Amino acid sequence: MEENTRAGAPITPAPLCRAPAQGAGISGSTAADTTLGRAPAQGAGNKAGGETGSEAEKIIEIRDLEKVYRNGAIEVAALRGVSLDIHKGEFVAIMGTSGSGKSTFMNILGCLDRPTGGIYCLEGLDINEYDDNELSLIRNQKVGFVFQSFNLIPRTSALKNVELPMVYGKVPAAKRHARAHALLDKVGLGDRYGHMPNELSGGQRQRVAIARALTNHPPILLADEPTGNLDSKSSIEIMELFAELNNDGNTVILVTHEPDIAEWAHRVITFRDGLIISDRTNPPKAPM
Amino acid sequence: MLFLENVKLALLAIKSNKMRSFLTMLGIIIGTSSVIAITTIGDGASSAVSAEFDSFGKNNANIYPNTYGMDYSDSSDRFTSSDIAALNERFGSEIEYVSPYYSAATDVKIGRMSGQFNLSSVSGNYIHVSGGSLAYGRDFSQSDIDNRREFVIIPEEAAKKFFGRGDVAGESISMSFAGQIREMTIIGVYRQKDSIFSRLMSGTSYAAYVPYTLWNDAPSEILDLYVGSSQSISASLDKITSYLALIHKRPADHYIGSSVEAQQTRMTQIMGVLSVAIGAIAAISLLVGGIGIMNIMLVSVTERTREIGIRKSLGAKTGDILVQFLIEAMLVSALGGLIGATLGIGVATVGMGLANVSVNVDPFVVLLSVGFSAMVGMFFGLYPARKAAKLDPIEALRYE
Repeated sequence: MEENTRAGAPITPAPLCRAPAQGAGISGSTAADTTLGRAPAQGAGNKAGGETGSEAEKIIEIRDLEKVYRNGAIEVAALRGVSLDIHKGEFVAIMGTSGSGKSTFMNILGCLDRPTGGIYCLEGLDINEYDDNELSLIRNQKVGFVFQSFNLIPRTSALKNVELPMVYGKVPAAKRHARAHALLDKVGLGDRYGHMPNELSGGQRQRVAIARALTNHPPILLADEPTGNLDSKSSIEIMELFAELNNDGNTVILVTHEPDIAEWAHRVITFRDGLIISDRTNPPKAPM
Repeated sequence: MLFLENVKLALLAIKSNKMRSFLTMLGIIIGTSSVIAITTIGDGASSAVSAEFDSFGKNNANIYPNTYGMDYSDSSDRFTSSDIAALNERFGSEIEYVSPYYSAATDVKIGRMSGQFNLSSVSGNYIHVSGGSLAYGRDFSQSDIDNRREFVIIPEEAAKKFFGRGDVAGESISMSFAGQIREMTIIGVYRQKDSIFSRLMSGTSYAAYVPYTLWNDAPSEILDLYVGSSQSISASLDKITSYLALIHKRPADHYIGSSVEAQQTRMTQIMGVLSVAIGAIAAISLLVGGIGIMNIMLVSVTERTREIGIRKSLGAKTGDILVQFLIEAMLVSALGGLIGATLGIGVATVGMGLANVSVNVDPFVVLLSVGFSAMVGMFFGLYPARKAAKLDPIEALRYE
């Protein structure tokens, strides 16, 4: 690892990855609980975008994050020292053009990939310390993915799709059914439990995907261009749903290249050439 | 991930690609069905054949001179009543029955009924030692044999056909054999043990017995012999053949003793070799079937790359994906094995039904074939499943 003295990456003696008393560890499953979303820890105190008051719990701590891809003798640095904190209850948009490093950053945030340098702590867990199977468990318990192309399992009902993370989280069948039903009700698909993905519209598929992301009460919702394949009406509906989930206390991280989608977030972080070039708060958009 | 969930997933995958799954199974189906059909038919046939041998009596043997490499056998090689007397004197306690063997076929006409009799020469006690029983009348006595009495013992079916009743002892019947036409007196009616051969023979000709002395001591090429059931037939035969060689002044190995037991052993050996050969063919067909499964599983893994990526992003571990695809491969081939076993038993039942032999399905064979098919599936599914499990989730999610 390189020395930690590059610009914008000050040496931080602050203790990282000290597991908070609550909600840490990857063994405990909270998915058995059928209540929706995560209750906000501090009430409405962290609603204001970008306000990182000391009372709000840090969910993500990132220091000097680097990612270098090696292709033979050629090295390509996708991330060149990124530091960032995200607190519980935030609604963050990550922007950037293609090649800016935002996709690499999102893969690392979602524990699909490991950094080649720096530290990423998710709820007090240093993900560099875990092997592939443990990362699977971390993804299962701590990350709710929403993808641009929905990524539902084909020929599998909406209900079964929503249950899937609980299957891998070893939640008993009866509890899985109850929670999946409740989540589909929550995203407004209460009448389409048994529908196959190809029987649903794009907006409906994305709702199923959002319900699936919520199943194991993950501390972060990670949405990668969630409206990229949707028409403008469905896009607004999906963004309203994210705003509502954030309002319920969920931490939402949104990766997008569309400025009007980013406007829904309370904090907008912009990447260019593997570095953060701006990190601004955003007046929250009033739900329509 | 739970085993049951994986079985459900695998069934779903099989169901959503019915034609492909069936074609994949076909190799396994053909392999197992042919193995099961052939082993079942083989078992049925060999138990039928061994029952047949048992009905002859395992302690039965024929002795004949070794004429290999000669154009004709020397008449001094052959057997006469003096050989019988010598053997009875020397081995009386070991031999239950011994007689030179002659045979003749004769047409018989009584009233409007006509038919053929196959006559075999016997000495006393033949009906008993050969496992039959006398229904009416009596067997030949030593004095009948010694005095060349023109007596005959006929089967019950022949009695019923020609005389309309079973008890025909004392009736006479005209037969032509050993160079003259004789008026034979029926002294006994015997009943044979039921066997495939007796069923096959019925209606064509009847096996009847006459004293060997009616052939007037013409030298016989074959000696028919039964040793006591407590004797070792091969040991007795060795002694008897070398003794006969001594009497006839021939080399010690000049006479060959061929026992039913030895023939049965030879038959069992042939069956054993046959089942090994069939097993090898089955192994090849299962190998081909297994390669088919591997091929289709590789296609399936490629097709479902994105699904694998989704599952991994949702928390599936490497082992979860591995087990999912392994169970799918095993289920496809075990299902093929089960269908093949059912088909094989069906074919065997129909085939053996036509031959009028009862089928004995060995549940162990069925279990073994299904289990072995599943093992084949596991073996050939391992590589595709490992390939699936090792996929990088980011690459897999990006796959179009």
